[in-house]
Amino acid sequence: MNQTSDVIIIGSGIIGCAAAYYLAKKGVSVMVLEAADSIGNGGSSRNGGGVRQSGRDSRELPMVMWGIKHIWPTLSEELGTDVEYTQKGNLRLGKTPSHLKILQGLTDRAVACGLDVRMIDGEEVRKINPYLSDEVLGASWCPTDGHANPLTTTLGYFKKARELGVRFITGEPVLALKKVKGKVNTVITPDGNFECDKILVAAGYETREITSSVEVDVPMRKQKIECLVTEAEPHMFDQMLGTAEADFYGHQTKHGSFVFGGSTGLEPFLASDKAAPSTSIGAACTCRGIMKYFPALSNAKIVRTWAGWLDASADGIPVIGAADGAPGLFLACGFTGHGFGIGPAAAYSIAEVMTDGTPPVNMEPFRCTRFKAKV
Amino acid sequence: MISANDRLADIGPFVPAADDDLIICRCEEVTKGEIRKAVHAGMYTLTEVRRYLRCGMGLCQGQTCGRLVRNIIARELGRKSSELEPATGRAPMRPTEMKILSSEKGVE
Amino acid sequence: MKRYDLVIIGAGPAGLSAAAEASKCGMSVAVFDENAKPGGQLFKQIHKFFGSKKHKARIRGYKIGEQLLSEVAGGVDVELNSPVIGIYPEKEIVVRQGEDIVHCKADSIIVATGATENMVPFEGWTLPGVIGAGAAQTMMNLHGVKPGEKILMLGSGNVGLVVSFQLLQAGCKVRALVDAAPHIGGYGVHAAKVARCGVPFYLSHTITKAEGTDCVTGAVVSQVDEHFQPIPGTEKHFDVDTICVAVGLSPMAQLLMMAGCEMEDARGGHVPVCGQYGETSVPGIYAAGDVSGIEEASSAMIEGRMAGICAAAYLGFCSEKDKNASLTKLSEDLNDLRQGMFAPQNRGKMIKKTEEGIDISQTLLAEGHITTEEAERFPGVVHEVGVHPVIECTQNIPCNPCQDVCPKHCIKVGKDITALPQVDTNIQCIGCGMCVASCSGQAIFLLDENSEPGFGTVTMPYEFLPLPQQGAKGTALDRSGVPVCDAEVVGVKTAPAFDHTSLLTIKVPKDKVMDARFFKKGELEDDKCK
Repeated sequence: MNQTSDVIIIGSGIIGCAAAYYLAKKGVSVMVLEAADSIGNGGSSRNGGGVRQSGRDSRELPMVMWGIKHIWPTLSEELGTDVEYTQKGNLRLGKTPSHLKILQGLTDRAVACGLDVRMIDGEEVRKINPYLSDEVLGASWCPTDGHANPLTTTLGYFKKARELGVRFITGEPVLALKKVKGKVNTVITPDGNFECDKILVAAGYETREITSSVEVDVPMRKQKIECLVTEAEPHMFDQMLGTAEADFYGHQTKHGSFVFGGSTGLEPFLASDKAAPSTSIGAACTCRGIMKYFPALSNAKIVRTWAGWLDASADGIPVIGAADGAPGLFLACGFTGHGFGIGPAAAYSIAEVMTDGTPPVNMEPFRCTRFKAKV
Repeated sequence: MISANDRLADIGPFVPAADDDLIICRCEEVTKGEIRKAVHAGMYTLTEVRRYLRCGMGLCQGQTCGRLVRNIIARELGRKSSELEPATGRAPMRPTEMKILSSEKGVE
Repeated sequence: MKRYDLVIIGAGPAGLSAAAEASKCGMSVAVFDENAKPGGQLFKQIHKFFGSKKHKARIRGYKIGEQLLSEVAGGVDVELNSPVIGIYPEKEIVVRQGEDIVHCKADSIIVATGATENMVPFEGWTLPGVIGAGAAQTMMNLHGVKPGEKILMLGSGNVGLVVSFQLLQAGCKVRALVDAAPHIGGYGVHAAKVARCGVPFYLSHTITKAEGTDCVTGAVVSQVDEHFQPIPGTEKHFDVDTICVAVGLSPMAQLLMMAGCEMEDARGGHVPVCGQYGETSVPGIYAAGDVSGIEEASSAMIEGRMAGICAAAYLGFCSEKDKNASLTKLSEDLNDLRQGMFAPQNRGKMIKKTEEGIDISQTLLAEGHITTEEAERFPGVVHEVGVHPVIECTQNIPCNPCQDVCPKHCIKVGKDITALPQVDTNIQCIGCGMCVASCSGQAIFLLDENSEPGFGTVTMPYEFLPLPQQGAKGTALDRSGVPVCDAEVVGVKTAPAFDHTSLLTIKVPKDKVMDARFFKKGELEDDKCK
């Protein structure tokens, strides 16, 4: 079977769905192939929902800042889906002098990039969020950070792209890409070949296996991340939270439930099996982290835990742009566990790149040729 | 094969029904009409409908409504419910307080 | 981390049976159950079980539970109030116990978590007062609480029928038994027990509305067409305060899914793909009982034993030879139960004739009882001089206690336990009543068609309190609960061997002995259902 469209996107996460939407809006015909049965089944529906600038690598700050200014505030209206975007700030908490030192470093680097972020003391922290324990000594405070619902955001982009005629096919794993006369223009699946002018691979860690068929690789590592959600609780606070120790992060959703993520420290050493079941110790560890800061949540009931894989790139920021030596092939991967908040801006940018338009930020930091030996 | 997973597949228009106000998911108060509309918005799997509407994501984790929601989606798609994947089983199988989940024994 | 040879999840009939076999083989076994009491649903089952002696037929469910508990006592660590919250890789099990979660590992796991009740949505279904039939059973039989006064039962499968009878026993009024299907789904004998108490059956009907603002104050029922859609204009109103829903069960297989077992849609829900003895696709993980496919408690107990033996053999606690010998025998027992009209392979089939070639009573399927005329064509219904049994057992179900208990051997079922019982008229019945009390379906009556001039007697199984006294006067009801004549209690027999089933003998006019099948003391109530 030969099916054609201008662009084929591999992967229906937030990048794939949003890129499909932005391309379709420009009149490009788009097809999205998703290996899983459900749309956005990877990290896009498994993350903690942070829409955050503070704490980020300065190379990706301009892109996320642009997204927070130009996309997120009106995204619910644009997509016709409540993405629950809440811009009420991010508190990154510290309980020890060494925590505060880490936070100060992050803050200094962000301020240098023009971000409104500052250090505040424990008293001011509790003014912003009175439920925090007295043990909190201080925090970095970024008032323009926030959070959104990753599930409705990803599915909202999908829904809107579909309305614009984007053809999504689920349960369609890509076996290989194929170069024809020097151009990557064919996608091979168990159902046959799909042809197009341009291909965007936004398949998380799986990008690697797919692009290896045309001799393209991005140095990445697959790592498990775990999250949990409580039953709905009365409204307590609106900020996004994190800690210097990175023992947990999360927020209270519009619905009232608390979504938290965390890590045990053993993640890099877990068996990297295909399935993503939560570990037996992950949620417990996250809960202990939370309760140190939020004793008030100790009776909140956890109704569900889950896990996902993040695609950690060798230098901690994504690859977004044309693949080297493979004309027609574009990549958006390696988001390293902070791809949700930056997702809309990244997708908008790659759509511009693929249509020879003008990306809103300098794409140079995201080029795929940047990975070099240390000496 | 492709036609079944093609999200542009024609499943006909959304036709309002008398029982659209019927609550299907008691925990999250999601109605039959909302579920049917979600299918017409492209949510063809139980997982997507759950993520889009929260049905089956509440305190009972879909123990009561899971089967009902699956049947509604299947009917809307003109398929058998056995063709649809059911919801994934996730821990904790029973809602568990944070202070209990955090207090581990037997780990060493 | 504590490590067991075997962890069993669920202390119901399957789990306890598995534990009994595994511990006999010398395994260290822990059974985790989320409930405060062991036994799963067994302790709610106050009725006598079907099957043959090896299936513990004619023993009440809760007593089977007690037997199972004593079988595992000492050798097995049964941990209650212990919900398993997850099965993780490398057979790690996390259990909530008290204020902690406890991690442990097992070299083998048997999941016997049972099933959960299905719900059906209708207007008002979320009102307090709409409850699962199983929940009603828990309230009555475990906690001694009446779920309501006036009940509407939705569903005519065995659960709906058995619970309706128990509601009547608890003193509730069952106003109607409703099912969208055109035929009764459960055993005819279970239906007959309910019908003769006067409960009307509404087949091809469904509930369209539960009325009330804060709780159920009534129900509306409509007839359905062949597509199960309510037919406008056929609405009937029932004054009830409780609606019991008995529309089937779904296996609670989420733990197996989490453990990575391959799953399929079969046998009543989403179940693990299983071998003949409950082996899942994950080596060392087994499933037994309803979680692997909805069936009866009797079969769950056999499945549990099979899984227990397999787990023992998997870890070398039992030789292949012993395993095969045990499994062969258990397979035969299980096979015996999986015969007859209600066998898993016959689910959904419309069976018109018995194995003997006799036409099934259509009245039974539509109204819950056979007619006097239809009764005559079945081999258990005979007419003799003097006291003799009349066995109104008209469907092939696996059950034979009547044959076992008759000291004179005048009742024959034969080797195939689904065969309809026959009465051998060459042997004189001594009227001991053992057959009447032992029949799990309460389908056997002793008749003396001419006990004195113009009168005969009918001896019936009776499980209601207060027990009428000898000499009590009242009304005889027919199989549909309709009064047929005045009646007087001329005999009341209770005996330990009868196990709480009393034998009530009533005197009725001679021409009513084939009609009178139930007794109501005193004047009939005005608000009687029909």
